[in-house]
Amino acid sequence: MSLLLPGMHVAGGTPLHRLDPRVKMGASLLLMVLPFVAPSLPSNLLLAGFVVALAILSAVPLMALVRTLRVVVWTGIFMFVFRLFTTPGTPLLTVGGISVTLQGLGAGAVQIYRLCLLVVVSSLLTYTTSPAQLAHGVEAVLEPLARLGLPVREFAMVLTIALRFVPTLFEEIEKIVKAQEARGALIRTGPLWKRVPGWVPVFVPLFVSAFRRAEDLATAMEARGFRSAHQRTHLYRLHLTRHDLAASLLILALGAVILFVEWRMG
Amino acid sequence: MLISVEGLGYTYAPSTPLARTALRGVDLEIRQGERVGILGPTGSGKSTLAQLIAGLLRPTSGHVLLDGVAAHARTADARLRRLKVGMAFQYPEHQIFEQTVPREVAFGPRNLGLNDAEVEARVAWALDIVGLDPVEMADRVPLTLSGGEMRRLALAGILAMRPPVLILDEPTANLDPRGRQELLTRVLTWQAETELTLIVISHNLDDLARLAERVVLLVAGQVAADGPAREVLSDRPLLEDASFDVPPPVALLQALRQSGWAVATNRLLAEEAATEIAQVWSSTGGMV
Repeated sequence: MSLLLPGMHVAGGTPLHRLDPRVKMGASLLLMVLPFVAPSLPSNLLLAGFVVALAILSAVPLMALVRTLRVVVWTGIFMFVFRLFTTPGTPLLTVGGISVTLQGLGAGAVQIYRLCLLVVVSSLLTYTTSPAQLAHGVEAVLEPLARLGLPVREFAMVLTIALRFVPTLFEEIEKIVKAQEARGALIRTGPLWKRVPGWVPVFVPLFVSAFRRAEDLATAMEARGFRSAHQRTHLYRLHLTRHDLAASLLILALGAVILFVEWRMG
Repeated sequence: MLISVEGLGYTYAPSTPLARTALRGVDLEIRQGERVGILGPTGSGKSTLAQLIAGLLRPTSGHVLLDGVAAHARTADARLRRLKVGMAFQYPEHQIFEQTVPREVAFGPRNLGLNDAEVEARVAWALDIVGLDPVEMADRVPLTLSGGEMRRLALAGILAMRPPVLILDEPTANLDPRGRQELLTRVLTWQAETELTLIVISHNLDDLARLAERVVLLVAGQVAADGPAREVLSDRPLLEDASFDVPPPVALLQALRQSGWAVATNRLLAEEAATEIAQVWSSTGGMV
């Protein structure tokens, strides 16, 4: 696989890697919500600058990060075109009763910017946080719901397993695609109308192997005494350190500054 | 088909933090009808090399030429050549997807654009080669076959394309001794009948001793040795450097030689070693 996919974890020792997963998840959520509540240019410049600073801090090669945006290229184009034609305002160009407006151009650009920010922030979260930590964080955040009788621990376990198997499934797809291409299947090349049915010989073996893996995993977990109803303890416990506190304050300050700017700009 | 590998290098996930170089500066030439074994410890780049030869990966540097055409090129000409390279991955049974055995085998031939009669003939022929009864298998669901049968079915699916070049990646992994013996014999018979180019990837020296006349040793993505199987597989220092032991017959002959018997030490198979010992024994009248 030549590109770093969103959801992949890159082990490292940067301050961002060492941060408590709960802090990182909270901060990510804030960074993803802010561009929607704060539409003004200055606050978004500040926000974008902050995200770029985080990206540099995470030590993930920036080019690799930029390339992850490839996964949303089609969504981005669709959203841009949609906004371009549906926003009322000063017409720039009219073709057959549908007009492209200046405001539409701006709104489309804003959509793309928000989408990019969403992908970059969530990628940064998974690059710097291992799946196990992430699930642990989710479990800790949802802990209060466990008292209401909701299966929070089981949910966290399901999440851990799902995250753990994302790269495995990608590898598996890659392997099966190659095996079927070696048998002359048109999957990554050839005309589109031949490519789509070409995926059947990929997905059938993929599901077969996913079920086999699931069965093996279930057996292995039971052999090691896993019972879903049992209270389990963690090998590593989450502790908030001074760094986590500082990071939380920083991100809250950013939020406050942006809201203040928005308020002043009316 | 002539396979030329020139200055071949491959890096997984280049320019990301997960980048890993699997091959560097590999030069090889494989002629039609050769039986080449590719040997190397885990992670030495064997499987990567095989996939590059089959045109399934794009080289990071250098190239693989099939009769002078780049193996991975996106042209019709290159695709035609790629289809002449049959590739059986490790655990080829994991690629089975059809609902019946004959349809599974027919997938490749159909992709070649053959007519129904020809496809049917090839299915029967390929099942027969791997030792599955075409009549008995006519309605069987592939997933109900035993592990060994599924392996053979997957191989039939590749053989049915009649590739002049066949690459086998760890063909005997997970097979019981009888299944292994049978598979090797069938592959060898077929190779001899059709002047097939056979490329076998393995870290099982015994498989290579049986299948290969030439062995390429890969260590850390580079060619550490390339020569006749008898030479490479009996070179103790070379193999030990790559964390392999010499095959048992060679070990026996070398031990005999050390205790004063004038035996040749480059006999890779038990039968060959026995013949060698018997000859030396009778020529010396049993005296050292």
